[in-house]
Amino acid sequence: MIKIHHTSFIYDDEFEALRDINLEIKHGEFVSLVGPSGSGKSTLLKLLTREVLPTDGEILIDGIDLGELSARDIPHLRRKIGTVYQDFKLLSAKNAFENVAFAMEVCGADKEDVDRDVPKLLNIVGLSDKANNFPHQMSGGERQRLAIARALIHRPRIILADEPTGNLDQVNTYDVVKLLLKINELGTTIILATHNRDVVNAIGRRVISMENGRIVRDQIEQGKYII
Amino acid sequence: MHYHLKETLKRIFNTGWLNFVRNSYVSFGTTGVMTLVLLLFAGLMSLNFLSTKVVEGLQDKVDVSAYFKSSASEEEVASVKIDLEKNQLVKNVLYISKDQALADFKKRHAGDPLIQESLAELDENPLQASLNIKANNPDTYAEIVKFLEANKFRSLIDKINYYENEAVIKRVEGISGGIKTWGLIATLLLALIAILVTFNTIRLTIFNQKQEIEIMRLVGGSNWHVKAPYLVEGAIYGVFAAVIAGALFYPIAYFLSPKISILIPGVSLIGYFGSNFFSFIFLLLLVGVLIGVASSYIAIRKFLKV
Repeated sequence: MIKIHHTSFIYDDEFEALRDINLEIKHGEFVSLVGPSGSGKSTLLKLLTREVLPTDGEILIDGIDLGELSARDIPHLRRKIGTVYQDFKLLSAKNAFENVAFAMEVCGADKEDVDRDVPKLLNIVGLSDKANNFPHQMSGGERQRLAIARALIHRPRIILADEPTGNLDQVNTYDVVKLLLKINELGTTIILATHNRDVVNAIGRRVISMENGRIVRDQIEQGKYII
Repeated sequence: MHYHLKETLKRIFNTGWLNFVRNSYVSFGTTGVMTLVLLLFAGLMSLNFLSTKVVEGLQDKVDVSAYFKSSASEEEVASVKIDLEKNQLVKNVLYISKDQALADFKKRHAGDPLIQESLAELDENPLQASLNIKANNPDTYAEIVKFLEANKFRSLIDKINYYENEAVIKRVEGISGGIKTWGLIATLLLALIAILVTFNTIRLTIFNQKQEIEIMRLVGGSNWHVKAPYLVEGAIYGVFAAVIAGALFYPIAYFLSPKISILIPGVSLIGYFGSNFFSFIFLLLLVGVLIGVASSYIAIRKFLKV
């Protein structure tokens, strides 16, 4: 459960990226966050991963106030949240298996866990046969699916996807969205920030529209991309 | 997912080691500067050891001699000796009889025929029995002299000689103190440079690994996982520098030791550092690791936001 109360965020004391945001997202929802560039979608996601603190207001995830998290608790928050980005953020010097393994290892997993979980995760995203491929040997869609596999290592309760299809063609976009829907069916909350109209309309779930740092529309069901 | 301390430590050390190896050229320079610091530090320790030895030697030479008149009997001299030995300021008292004094004198001037001839012409031993007194603390000689002056057999004492080596000791201490101060300043200055160089090296590593660090943060890598490898990297520079400094210092000490023994008899530099080999290497390691970890810590604080 995510609760955002009267939250504002100002960059460098100047630019007001978010203005008095109020939002509640229930567990298991699939939320599309839409709006033009600079409308505040990415900033909102950064607040949720506690990369930045709100200038005003409070944010609660599963009852935990992010403003009161100590530095050593931040990693634990981030293990509850999987993140997927437009630029994939994969390590080019590591192959598919190693990219996922690396993420597990830095969280303290031992070799046994890694050897057991990584093939499963690659299987979920349909990359079992690409385990030894390096990112440059994979298509954009495959890279994004690999990034999603990595986001799943902690069996997160929430996945934040920031323009995950921004660099992908239609076919690959479809693959990635299908995968996100599948993960959502298994019970994970998904927040998808995008300005891809077709994607949003195809998903047809809750759609939150943002403009100039405000929420201008919140369609709880059967949402459409409307500007 | 299970979290294992052993795996965690293994990964942290492996990553730190890889950071060190992959930056080989930069690592080489960093280790070099740190080695220089440790060598200077070792030199300072040698100097400290040598000047202490010189001062100790001089202090040992300071003594009070009481010369007795020919009329004094051996029993009377022995009684004064016992009085002195009871005094807490006195370390030891050496009795030199008339015969012993003569024998010493002859021996000392064995190569001087004129003195030998003059001695031969004398009917009786012209030398006096004496007590040679060493104090526990060289500052207390004046008090010992006073104590002797007050002795009941004072009338039997012809003269009391009190060699004032204190001035020489002060000078040696002054010179070695000066060298130590400047040596310390030079060492600290170089240590500062080493910290800056190491800091910069770690900064480079951090910048090179921006992507990895970002991913570690995103997936919830603990602060330890993200930061500790850089601390390990810093410590590795220190360990290597200590080993190299040790490997350079011991041969140098070995070659210099005989030359120093000529200047300061009875002092063996290699003997001292040889018998303290493990504690000395440990000290070098400690200083090296401390410098490395401190630099790394500053770099992490400044450039690694989690």
